[in-house]
Amino acid sequence: MIEAAVIGIVTGAIYGLIALGLVLVYKGTRVINFAQAEIGGAGLYLAYICTSHGLPWIAAAVITIAGAAILGIVFERLIVRPMGDAPRLTVAVATVGLFFALFSLEFYFFGQSPEFVAPPITGRGIEVAGFFIGPMVLLSFVVIAALAAALTAFLRYTDFGLGVLAAAQDATAVRLIGIPLGRLNMFTWGIAGALSAVAALLIEPQIGTVSPGAIGEPLFLGGLAAALLGGLTSLEGAFLGGILVGVAQSEAQHLLLATGFPGISAVVLFVIVLLVLLVRPQGLLGTLRARAEIGGAVT
Amino acid sequence: MSVLPLPDTAAPLLSAEGLVTGFGSHAVLHGVDIQVREGEIAGIFGLNGAGKSVTIKALAGLQPLWSGRVSLGGQDISTLSPEDRVGLGIGNIPQGRQVFPELTVEENLRLGAYRLRRRNRGRYRGLLEEVYERFPVLAQRRSQAAGTMSGGEQASLAIGRALMSEPRLLLVDEPSAGLAPKVIESVFQALHALNREGLTILLVEQNVTFGLKLVHTAHLLRMGRVVYSGEVGSLDRDRVVQELGIGRLLSSLQGDKK
Amino acid sequence: MSTELAVSSPLDGEVPGGAGRRGRGGLLTPRRSNILLVLAACLLAPTVIGGSVGQATGLAMTQLFHPASALLLSEAAAIAIAALALNLLTGYAGQISLGHAGLLGAGAFAAGLVTGRLGLPFWVGVPAGAAATGVISLGIGLPALRLRGLYLAMVTIAFGYLMYSSVLRLDFFTGGSAGVILPRTLWGKHQLIENADWLSVPLICLLIAWLIDQNVMRSRLGRALRAIRENEAVAQAFGIDVARYKLLAFVISGAMTGAAGALYGSAIGFVNSETFPFTLSLSLVIMIVVGGLGSRSGAAISAILFFLFAYLLEGLPFPWLKGLDGIVGAVLLMYTVARHPGGFASVISELREGRRPKRATSDDEEPPMPALPNLPRPEGLGARPAGDGAGPVLEVQGVTVRFGGLVAVDGASLAVPRGKIVGLIGPNGAGKTTLFNAISGLLRPSAGRVVLNGHDVSALPAHRRAQLGIARTFQQIGLARDQSVLENMLLAQHLLAGYDSGQALLRTPRVARQERELDERARQAIAALGFAGRENVPVNRLSHGQQRILEVGASLLTDPELLMLDEPSAGMSPAAAENLAERLRDLRDVLGRTVLLIEHHVPLVLDVCDYVYVLNFGQILAEGTPDEIMAHPDVIGAYLGESEAVAV
Repeated sequence: MIEAAVIGIVTGAIYGLIALGLVLVYKGTRVINFAQAEIGGAGLYLAYICTSHGLPWIAAAVITIAGAAILGIVFERLIVRPMGDAPRLTVAVATVGLFFALFSLEFYFFGQSPEFVAPPITGRGIEVAGFFIGPMVLLSFVVIAALAAALTAFLRYTDFGLGVLAAAQDATAVRLIGIPLGRLNMFTWGIAGALSAVAALLIEPQIGTVSPGAIGEPLFLGGLAAALLGGLTSLEGAFLGGILVGVAQSEAQHLLLATGFPGISAVVLFVIVLLVLLVRPQGLLGTLRARAEIGGAVT
Repeated sequence: MSVLPLPDTAAPLLSAEGLVTGFGSHAVLHGVDIQVREGEIAGIFGLNGAGKSVTIKALAGLQPLWSGRVSLGGQDISTLSPEDRVGLGIGNIPQGRQVFPELTVEENLRLGAYRLRRRNRGRYRGLLEEVYERFPVLAQRRSQAAGTMSGGEQASLAIGRALMSEPRLLLVDEPSAGLAPKVIESVFQALHALNREGLTILLVEQNVTFGLKLVHTAHLLRMGRVVYSGEVGSLDRDRVVQELGIGRLLSSLQGDKK
Repeated sequence: MSTELAVSSPLDGEVPGGAGRRGRGGLLTPRRSNILLVLAACLLAPTVIGGSVGQATGLAMTQLFHPASALLLSEAAAIAIAALALNLLTGYAGQISLGHAGLLGAGAFAAGLVTGRLGLPFWVGVPAGAAATGVISLGIGLPALRLRGLYLAMVTIAFGYLMYSSVLRLDFFTGGSAGVILPRTLWGKHQLIENADWLSVPLICLLIAWLIDQNVMRSRLGRALRAIRENEAVAQAFGIDVARYKLLAFVISGAMTGAAGALYGSAIGFVNSETFPFTLSLSLVIMIVVGGLGSRSGAAISAILFFLFAYLLEGLPFPWLKGLDGIVGAVLLMYTVARHPGGFASVISELREGRRPKRATSDDEEPPMPALPNLPRPEGLGARPAGDGAGPVLEVQGVTVRFGGLVAVDGASLAVPRGKIVGLIGPNGAGKTTLFNAISGLLRPSAGRVVLNGHDVSALPAHRRAQLGIARTFQQIGLARDQSVLENMLLAQHLLAGYDSGQALLRTPRVARQERELDERARQAIAALGFAGRENVPVNRLSHGQQRILEVGASLLTDPELLMLDEPSAGMSPAAAENLAERLRDLRDVLGRTVLLIEHHVPLVLDVCDYVYVLNFGQILAEGTPDEIMAHPDVIGAYLGESEAVAV
């Protein structure tokens, strides 16, 4: 039981990181980035190329994160910006295209076979409740907490960050008071890409290998559930949501393992997504305004 | 409200020549010419669909021009983005105010000074205090979310936010829209006071009665063309009615009683 | 687009792409398609049924079709059916689904249970798969009633993942083994072993799916779906039960997809949870978006091409081509969505139409609004609670509408006597449209009653009130603006079409007859309104004044008890507004209509109305005849700002 919780917290932390990126993009543009996990997944191949050419992990990590950020910026420039104020769903479908493109590219260049990227820190790590939490996992926690705090501070306390928040509320007004909207959006998507890469780098050691779509699918949904649960407009909620989703999945799996029911984690995710959207669309920490935006029938 | 006479040497601060633009293949403006002299307060009036909003959006840079020119202080700004026009001294108060609802009053004002703060942070503090002095209600509510304020308070915030960029010219899109008459009075008073202090203002307004009392110069827009430009003094009600194209049925409650 | 008319949720979901074109005209007119389809079915069916003709055709098929290519074509045909199904849901009804591969799997597995484990023939298995999937698709249909656009997309993607990772791996389906076998049993022990023999089946099914799709589009079902996609509030005003039709769309789409899955599975012979991966859902979306949302041929052709393209690449002797199809597809999707939302179908239709004619620019050039037609009361109109002739048609009693803490309408009461025009005026933000929405059913009041002809309709949804005889127009034109004049007039007669959806799918003779009647009545009305010859012009190409004429004319088609007009003069030139006044008087004097009118143009109201209510800050400030209102000190004060009322 406790063991399951610990495992859950570990995966949950990664979900939280994906959720962070999702919430950032949502807050900045009101779009859900369906490629939020896959950008990182593609980035891992970049890391693989680097390490297989003898570069140390940290260099590979930096290059990967930078590459992912650039990918986000390019996507914003080429695809999102020309779409102007097209409906948000349409832009989201464009991100679906991005997901598919990345997935196909991975497949094209590397085929199905998994590759291996050596993690930077090895070792048994610390022991909690009879279960070993590896050093990469500990690193994950630290990184995620730091990132969430940094982002929140940046958005709230710097002018640029405030501009990002404002852009999601009223993009036209932002232009009319002289703030370069293009630069704000570039930041949003660039950081989203970088966050995705960080998440992928942190989780890869747990999976052990890199293969097409291995990160994209399951992580995205976990991240989405986490973002919804925490509140699509709440950066703090992303982390909280991630932990909750991870633990819920893990516990459910633990409890129902005996029944032999397949894909329990998928069931948990589906239930969370459905329940949040139908019952409390603003999630745990989102604002009531978010609730008004998301939920409700016509009458 | 009494309108001060205009200074004699008044070169056009803003000049729009032959503006043609529209949506899809459908032209809304068919060659609009407007000159706004420095120091004056001018108004564009017209019925729904005449093209008032499109005109001011074209001047602000949101509506791309099909042909024509916009100049600010002699400089051609026709191809500049709205952000760059703000940098050159145009301030905007959009229709419906469009304050950032989830940000606080002070955050809204801070954003208005985005460009300024990068140049001169010290100046920002002083400017902020000036705005708070001008609109005490904003000072009281400085930490309140803008979306929870009343229409009139949001109007003050929108004006304050525009002022934070130290504009030479204010473009105001239908300041009376959605506001109760008493609130409209106070908004107009604020604009009047700003103009008396030397700020040039061009506004677009549907409420002719209120608007004509505020401006030096009126531009009457009809079907995408300016049919009259001139001093308000030489305009009387009948002329306005005639030029705007209102039919014989007009015996407006707004017009006749007062 | 068109979100101004939806009353609540600001983030109304939108489906990418704007095509939704007419579906008739061009090379494949319905008549021609039907003939082709029947011919094709005749050619193909014997292969399945047997006999000497069957043997001959069968032999020909085997010669023509190598087993591998027959398999390929079978799979392509199945995918094409799935694409048609998704297009019906997303392109017509505007409901996005990113998890349709899950439904393919459900169909395949369900069919497998029937044909594999129970040993029944495929022509039992495929329908069984379709039926089971139809039921399962309620699992995404029900949430779709509350969620739109982006948020529905999230649910469907989670659903797809659920199906893939969990449901389709259940032992119940797989029987404990790694997958399910789908034998192609024709009868008893006789199976269609040869791929070439089997090929006819998916091809025939594709033709059937095409036919069904066509039938949907040419019936009130299709019109209702497209109206829902464009604007749900307008759809409700035409009497369309949005919830029911949305569910119907999900079920029909689900069933078709299930059939496609069953066919696909039978073509391969064996399915497991990997046969329908998550990315297949996305591929389907790519197919219909790139092909053109709302275009039947776009969806089918695009599906077949994409599918074959992948195999083509594999067949070529260039190893660097393998896997390229995914990249190409993804890039095409992004490009289409960003630059050309209508997809290929719109590119082609634009090329065919040549340069678009300029839209009429000003109302000054428009002829004055013609007299509104006095159409005979249509038969087939459901029974309505008849008024007793004496009482008012509409009574609003103490209606209050709250949005959270804000009171938009506060205890408003009014009455509209039969055969009179009643006006509702007030300054901006007074709550006029909100009150209208409470009366027509788009909003539920927090307190008070709405009574139509003596019957309390307060608890009824908007489409029910439309059925009972409330017709309304919208400030920003309540028509399906992407569709043609004729289609809108047909849509407006939704309540008059005397057949149900099942009959529509099959296009029974009754349906054909009813459609002819509707068409005739529509054309009569169009001619009477002065639009003869412009039946196929999309409404958004008419001038604003013309659209308004059309809208009011359309609302009269169902012989409404009460006509509610929301700022009809908005956006009109003064000349046109004067003309409107005359027409409104005609509505009352010549056509005997009862009208409730919101107007901002006060002079119009004073000229036309028998009785006027003044609304200010959500309350009825004053009521009376126009003369009384003009002299009322409070009313004047409200407009001039001398009232004591505090700003909101």
